[in-house]
Amino acid sequence: MISYLIRRVFQSVLVLLVVGLVAFAMFNFIGDPIDNMLGQERTQEDVDRLRAQLGLDQPFVVQFVRFLGSAVQGNLGVSYEQGRPVAEILAERAPATLELAAVSGLFALSLGIVLGVFTAIRRHGFVANTIMTLSLIGVSLPTFLIGILLIYVFSVELDWLPSFGRGETVDLGAWTTGLLTSSGLRALILPAFTLGLYQMTLIMRLVRAEMLEVLRTDYIRFARARGLGERTVLFRHALKNTLVPVITIAGLQLGSLIAFAIITESVFQWPGLGLLFINAIQFVDIPVMAAYLMLISVMFVGINLIVDLLYVAIDPRLRT
Amino acid sequence: MLRLATISALVLGVAGASHAETFRWAGTTDPQTMDPHAVNSAPVLGFLNNVYEGLVRRGKDMSVEPALATSWEPIGDGEGWRFTLRQGVKFHDGADMTAEDVRFSFERASSEASDTRSWFAPVSDVVVVDDYTVDILTNAPNPIFPDSIANWMIMDKDWAEANDTTRPDKENGNHATLNANGTGAFMVSDRQPGLSTSLKPFDGWWDNAEHNITEATFTPIENSATAVAALLSGDVDMINPVPIQDADRVDQRDGTTVVRGIEARVIMLGFGHDRDTLKYTSMAGEKNPFLDVRVREAVAKAINVDAVLQTIMRGSAEAASQLVSPSMRGYSGANAARPSYDPEGAKALLAEAGYADGFSFGLKCPNNRYLNDEAVCQAVTGMLAQIGVTAELDAMPVQNYWPELREDNFDMYMLGWSPGTFDHEHPVRFLVTTPNPDKKLGSWNFGGFSNARVDELLPLIQSEIDNTKRQSMIDEVVSIYQSEHAYVPLYVQPLVWGMRDNVSLTQRPDNFFILRWVTVN
Repeated sequence: MISYLIRRVFQSVLVLLVVGLVAFAMFNFIGDPIDNMLGQERTQEDVDRLRAQLGLDQPFVVQFVRFLGSAVQGNLGVSYEQGRPVAEILAERAPATLELAAVSGLFALSLGIVLGVFTAIRRHGFVANTIMTLSLIGVSLPTFLIGILLIYVFSVELDWLPSFGRGETVDLGAWTTGLLTSSGLRALILPAFTLGLYQMTLIMRLVRAEMLEVLRTDYIRFARARGLGERTVLFRHALKNTLVPVITIAGLQLGSLIAFAIITESVFQWPGLGLLFINAIQFVDIPVMAAYLMLISVMFVGINLIVDLLYVAIDPRLRT
Repeated sequence: MLRLATISALVLGVAGASHAETFRWAGTTDPQTMDPHAVNSAPVLGFLNNVYEGLVRRGKDMSVEPALATSWEPIGDGEGWRFTLRQGVKFHDGADMTAEDVRFSFERASSEASDTRSWFAPVSDVVVVDDYTVDILTNAPNPIFPDSIANWMIMDKDWAEANDTTRPDKENGNHATLNANGTGAFMVSDRQPGLSTSLKPFDGWWDNAEHNITEATFTPIENSATAVAALLSGDVDMINPVPIQDADRVDQRDGTTVVRGIEARVIMLGFGHDRDTLKYTSMAGEKNPFLDVRVREAVAKAINVDAVLQTIMRGSAEAASQLVSPSMRGYSGANAARPSYDPEGAKALLAEAGYADGFSFGLKCPNNRYLNDEAVCQAVTGMLAQIGVTAELDAMPVQNYWPELREDNFDMYMLGWSPGTFDHEHPVRFLVTTPNPDKKLGSWNFGGFSNARVDELLPLIQSEIDNTKRQSMIDEVVSIYQSEHAYVPLYVQPLVWGMRDNVSLTQRPDNFFILRWVTVN
């Protein structure tokens, strides 16, 4: 058990290092931050001085090792664009992304399960078929298109919801939340729907398939034979047994909700980590890009590590 | 929980009350700092013009007018300029503005850590004569000095000392990065970098307020479709820019209007003058055809600028004959004609130069720097094909573009230039004089154009006090770079701003959004 644990942790660290190295190699192709940092009246001398000062004249491996060295000590560097510590900026932006991801995750899970069950029960009904067809659109349309479409319908034409931003937020010290004001809640609806739509469709289709499977099994037939009510059969016996794979998938998808919020955040000017990352790419703000990518990969590697360890806890055969 | 409820009720109450009076506007880029001496970029200086002020400022027509100085006059025989300061001017924190603050702001803005220090290259010293008189001494006579410092903003010495921000710090930031204490019409009331910045009118402002704004909030919205939607839905009152392809739609819609103008920025094509061979296409390594002035002239004649403006710019832009637009100081009225569109003449010139069968070369272009830059380059490629010249277009994001130009990786390239001093001397100094890092000349002359007479004239232009003599020397420089076809000036970039119908504002060619000229009805 211990050796398995050590091996998995070691592998995770290795993955992180490779991700970081690849990221730093890529930064060379994103462009040069110097021109964004110096004005049009800069001289070649200024360019060389700043480049040396930022360490950009070094090979990317050296830059990466330096980044790692200070990151291990908890110092993520200073943003080229804002001149502020990256850790501070990340902490400022994280609440917006986490709230958006949590709300869209919740929306995807609840609506996904309800619609999944419904379409499974009314397999040949007109409404269920319509939902299934519409869900295909949800899977196939790209996120930014859905976002822009929603903005035009609900903000520009109907004027029901705000077109961008997070609305009024309440500062709770280390956390700013948009969940406590009506404008904050209204601002959440469109981005949360846009971000959660794909996951919702995924969960709905998964629940539907699992339900159809379970409903064919003997114990459901026996339950019906025992004269149990339809409601008890469906929700007590059938649904419960479909939820194990659904929860596994939903947990893993939470990570991708955070990571793939980039597009949604950019379309809705949602002031979270994804928007920060997009801006960082525009400015070639290497410290911010590096910290964001490392954060996201730590998150994914962490989730996978926990899942693997849970398998060990559940399955005794892996312990030997 | 009760406390939370109270807070949120408060927030809601405030939001509800202030909503109607707050002016909200959006632009593409957030001003990266509130420090007026740290960064020399249009988003920063344009924004801070609402908060800080200089000795002089620019009016609605770009002319220089008194601001913190009430008058100025040359000292002796071009030894410098004496500025008489306005009395009774207060900083936002209530302190008086005096000559010491001007001297301090000079030291701060010309320090090693400041991006604006090139503005002060001609300055040898700043002398405080008395509390309201300052002498700015120059190395050589400098007739345009007062014109060149409209963006040099005055900061309070005591405030800077008290907050440990006597020098700008762009790399690590300091108090002035997030806070501001100017003399301008507006005070920064809330600053969230990258998210939003709010301004409130300054009651103690020395000038009469023309605006009726009680609060203003700027939000950077990078995605242009989102910005247009925000304007159409009324979530913001003004956006800059409106994408050219959306302008008509925004204009025709009830409740929104588009204001069009032209910017100070001239878009041009540049050549590699200083290399013997081509770098790109199958002709790489062969003789550089652009060394021949007839080939450069042929390129100028082959491009139908009017057609480009009609189709790609939808009639918003204006053709350019020189490196500055007509509204800039030193524009050469004597050289206002640009090469006419004449593909036959271009072919004849090519034949004369020995390229009757044409040639091929590499054209470098940015794709996110200027309005529709890549589309214009595609059009240029198509038009050159008509005279038998094949341009291999390579368009890239601006972050990659400047390094490519610095590395000389082009045969021909696109460049836009906005003169920081609004004077013709500026592009001549940066784009036309022979590159010379020691003298800080020609630092954006990527193609290495070099003409001895231009190099000789530039210092004379810089120190000539007599405006007529100065203009005749500028005219000479223009006729040289025009007849040499050092660059092919294409057009002056358009300005397209969108706003709600109830907003009235002034659009200035430097693309600065000046809040004190905004009224909301």
